[in-house]
Amino acid sequence: MSLFKKINAISDNDKVRKAWFGLAVAVFVCLIIVPSIFVVTKLLTEWGVVSDTLGNSEIMSLIYGAVGNSFSIAFIVTIIDIIVGIPMAWIFVRKNFKGKKYLDTLMDMPLAFPTAVLGISVVIFWGVPADGVTIPGLGLVVSPYMMMIMLHIIFTYPYMVRSLSAILEQIEPNYETAAMTLGASRFTAVRTITLPLFRAGLVTGFILCFARSLSETGGTYIALTLMGDETTFFTGPTFIAFMKEMDPSVALGPMIVISVIMIVLALILLLLVKRIMIRIKLPVTKVWPSIGRKLSNGIAPKLKDIVSIGFLMLVVLLPAFYIFAYLTQPILNVDYGQLLSSTGMSFLVAGVAVVFDIIFGIPVALYIARHRHTKMGQLLDNLVNIPLIIPTTALGFSLALFWGSLGTGGIISVILVILGHTSFTYPLVVRNITGAVEEVDPSYEEVAMTLGAKPLQAFSKVLMPIIKSSIIAGAILAFTRSLGETGATIAITSDVNTVPVYITELISSGSYSEAAICSIILILICFVFMFAVRAVTHRGDKSA
Amino acid sequence: MPEIVLKDLTKSYGDTKAADGLSLTVKDGEYICILGPTGAGKTTCLRMICGLTKQDSGEITFDGKPMDKVPISERRTTMLSQVYSLFPPMTVYENVMFSPSIKEWPEEESKQLVKSMIKMVHMDQKVQQYPHELSGGQQQRTALARALASDSKVLLLDEPLRALDARLRLELRKELKSMAKEMGLTSIHVTHDQDEALEMADRIAIIRQGRIVQIGTPMEVFQNPATPFVANFVGRSNIFVGKVGTSDETGTEVILPDGTKVRSRHTDLSEGEDAVVAVKIGSTRIEHIPVPTEEVPNPLMPEGYFEAVIERILYEGATITVEMSSSAIELVTCKLPNRKFDDFSVGDRVMVSWAPDKATLFRIPECGIVEELRLD
Repeated sequence: MSLFKKINAISDNDKVRKAWFGLAVAVFVCLIIVPSIFVVTKLLTEWGVVSDTLGNSEIMSLIYGAVGNSFSIAFIVTIIDIIVGIPMAWIFVRKNFKGKKYLDTLMDMPLAFPTAVLGISVVIFWGVPADGVTIPGLGLVVSPYMMMIMLHIIFTYPYMVRSLSAILEQIEPNYETAAMTLGASRFTAVRTITLPLFRAGLVTGFILCFARSLSETGGTYIALTLMGDETTFFTGPTFIAFMKEMDPSVALGPMIVISVIMIVLALILLLLVKRIMIRIKLPVTKVWPSIGRKLSNGIAPKLKDIVSIGFLMLVVLLPAFYIFAYLTQPILNVDYGQLLSSTGMSFLVAGVAVVFDIIFGIPVALYIARHRHTKMGQLLDNLVNIPLIIPTTALGFSLALFWGSLGTGGIISVILVILGHTSFTYPLVVRNITGAVEEVDPSYEEVAMTLGAKPLQAFSKVLMPIIKSSIIAGAILAFTRSLGETGATIAITSDVNTVPVYITELISSGSYSEAAICSIILILICFVFMFAVRAVTHRGDKSA
Repeated sequence: MPEIVLKDLTKSYGDTKAADGLSLTVKDGEYICILGPTGAGKTTCLRMICGLTKQDSGEITFDGKPMDKVPISERRTTMLSQVYSLFPPMTVYENVMFSPSIKEWPEEESKQLVKSMIKMVHMDQKVQQYPHELSGGQQQRTALARALASDSKVLLLDEPLRALDARLRLELRKELKSMAKEMGLTSIHVTHDQDEALEMADRIAIIRQGRIVQIGTPMEVFQNPATPFVANFVGRSNIFVGKVGTSDETGTEVILPDGTKVRSRHTDLSEGEDAVVAVKIGSTRIEHIPVPTEEVPNPLMPEGYFEAVIERILYEGATITVEMSSSAIELVTCKLPNRKFDDFSVGDRVMVSWAPDKATLFRIPECGIVEELRLD
C-alpha cells in the first residue's frame, strides 16, 4: 500500500483528522503566534534595560516620535486609500471599458515591486534626492512626512481596491437597481443601500492597508536615506532598523520598548477597528434628493471616474515605474555574482516560507471557513490576523529574541529568516484560502463522501481543483510579499543577504545607479516568475 | 439493498429540534417519500442516514447492523441533492466516473459501467460537456447517473426535482422512480410537494417537528389521515370543530358551535366529546339553492348540512376552487372540475354537503387546532 493510500484510509478516522488539525494549530501557535509576540515577555525578564530606557527622556522622545509618525502616516494613508479606493473598486467591478484588463494587471504591479525599489523610485520622482542621483525628478521639496505618505499610498492602495472589489463583486447590483426603480438617484442608491453592505470589505481593507503601512521598513528607510533624513526622521520600523546597527548593549532597551509599544498598539487597533467599523453610524438614513440627483448625472460621475483613474496613474503607477528611467543611463558594472546569490537567497526564503504556509495553512483555513460561527473558528480567525498587523520589524526582532538561544550564523540564520517570513505571509495564504473555501458549497464534498470518497479524497479530488486558483493567488501574493520584505530580515539577522537587503546596502553606500539597475532586474525576475506560474496553472486548467 | 431502521433519533441545533424521537423503518427496495413542511427535519433525517450529521441519540441500523461507527464513505448511501453538486471542473463522464475511479475498480469494467449509466439517463450526447453547460434537467440526470454508478445500495434524494421547471418535473418523477426500482435500490426521497410524494412513493411518511406522524401508502395517507395536520397537509381539507353527537350505522353526527349538524364516518369518540372534522376540499360538494319564482313557488330544496354564499371562484385549469362563507364556519372551500365553472358565480347561495364516509373525525389535539394546523 502506498503512503497516499495509507493516509487516505486513515483519513476516515475522526481522531486522525482531529490530530492533524491539532498539529496544524500547534504549528500555527508555536511557530508563528508565540514567537511573533515573544518580545512582550522581555518586559519582565529584561526589566533593567527597559527601565533604563524608559528613564532616558531623549530616547523616549525619539521613540514616541517614531511611533507617532508610524501610526499617523498609516492612518492618513488608509483614509486616502478608502476615499480614492471606493470609486476605483466601482470602476473595476461595475464598469466595462477597453483596456480594463490591462489596468487591472497594472494595479497589482506595485505589489510585486520590492518596497525598497519603490522607495528609490518615489523619492526620485517627487523629491530632491541626495547628490549622486542622475535622473531628473519633479524636484518638489517635500517634507519626509509627506514623502512617506506618497510612498505608502503606492503599496497600500492595491490592497484597498482589491478588498473593496472582492466585497463589491458579491453585492448584487439588484439592490441598487431596486432602489433606483423606487425613485432614488444612483448616488443616493449607492450611498444608502450598497455602502452599508460594504463594511466587511472596509474592515479588511483598513486592516490590510494600515498593517502594511505600519510595518513597512525597506522602502521607508531607503527613501529617508536618499533624502538624507535617515538619522533625524524615524518611523517605528526604521527606528528598530537604525538601532540594530548600534551596539547591542545600547540598542536592546529601546528596541524592546518600541517593539512592545508597536505590537500592543497594533493589537488594540485590530480589536477596535472591527468594532468601530461595524458600529459607526454612516449617514445613510437621511436623503438629499436634489443633491443626489445632481451628483448622479452630468459631469459629476464622469469627473469622479477621471479623478480616480488619474490618481491611480499619477500617484500610484507613475512614481512606482519611474525607476525604469534608469534604463536611459549608461549601463553600469553591476556585481552580478552578488546580485545572483542574493536573488537565490530571496527565492529560497520565499519559496520555503510559502510551501510551509500552504501545508500548515490549509487545515486552519478549512476549519475557519467551515466553522466560522463557532467560538474556536472566530478565535482562530482573529489569531490569524495578528502576524499581519504586527510591524514586521518588531516581529523580526521578537523572533530573533525567541530563537536567539539557537545561536546565529550560517544555516540557523537562514532558518530563522524563513520562519520570520512564514509568520507574516501565513495570514495572506490563509485569508485567500478561507475566502475561496467559503464560496464553495459544502455539498460538493458531502456528496463526494456519500459517493464513497474518503475525507482526504473529497478534499484532493473535489475541493482542491475548485479552489486551486485561489491557493495559487495566495501563494503568489505571499511569495512577492516575502521577496520584497526588508525590515523583518534585517531585524532577525544581519547575515542573510536577500535582494532588498542588498539594495538597501547599496543605497546606504551611495551606489544609487547600481541599486536601481539591481531593482529593475529584480522586478523583471518577479514578473517572469509570476507569468510563468500563471501560464503553468492556466495550462493545467485546460487539460483538467 | 438493506432494510433501514431509524430508532428514536434526536438531533438539536441550539433550541431547534430537527429530530425529536424520529423512528422509521424503510423496507428493502422500497421507494419511500418523506413529506413535510419546510423546517420539519426532512434534510436532517437524510443527513443522519448517510452519516453527514451525527444524531444526538438513537440508533440507525442497516439490515440490523448499527451504523454509528461506519464512516460516510463505507455506508453506500448516495445523496442526490437539490443543487445536484456536480463537480464543476469535471465533465459529465468524469463526474459519473468519480466513484469507480476513487474506488479503483478495474478500468474496463468501470468504463462499461459508466457508459451504460450515462446511456440509461440519456446523456450519451453530452459526455464531454461541463456541468455549467448543461440544463437543469441534464444536470439532474447526470447527478443520478453518478449516484447509480457508485455501487450504492441506498439512494437519498433531497428534493431532487425542486429546481426544475414544472413540466420536466412531472416527466422526471416517473423516470426517477423506475430507474431506482430497476437498480433495486432502497430509496428515501424527501419533498414538501404532496403531489410528488403521492405519485412517486410506495409509502409516504409524514414528518412534522422532527417526528414521523403517519406512515402509509399514498391512498391511506390521503384517505385516512392520522391527525388533522395530515388531513390538511396532504390535499387541503375543510376543518370544523364541534361536539360529537349521536352515531348510527351510516356515521356520526357532529354538532358545530352554532347548532349546525354535519356528518362524518363512524368514530370511537363518545357522545358530547369535543372533536375535529376534516373533509378534503375535493370531497366537498355544493348545490345551488333555487330562488322561489312565481311558477315554482316551492322549489325542491337540495339536501345538505348548511348554506353558504360564494365569495370567490378561482380558475386553475383542470379544476376550479370555490371559496364560500357561511354562518357555520367562516370559510369553506370546495374543489370542482372545470366544467362546473359556468354553473356558479360570486354571490350565489349554495348548500354544502359531503358523503359522511369522506369526513374524518379526530379527538381535539392537545396543542389546540390552530397550532396543529400550522405549516412550519
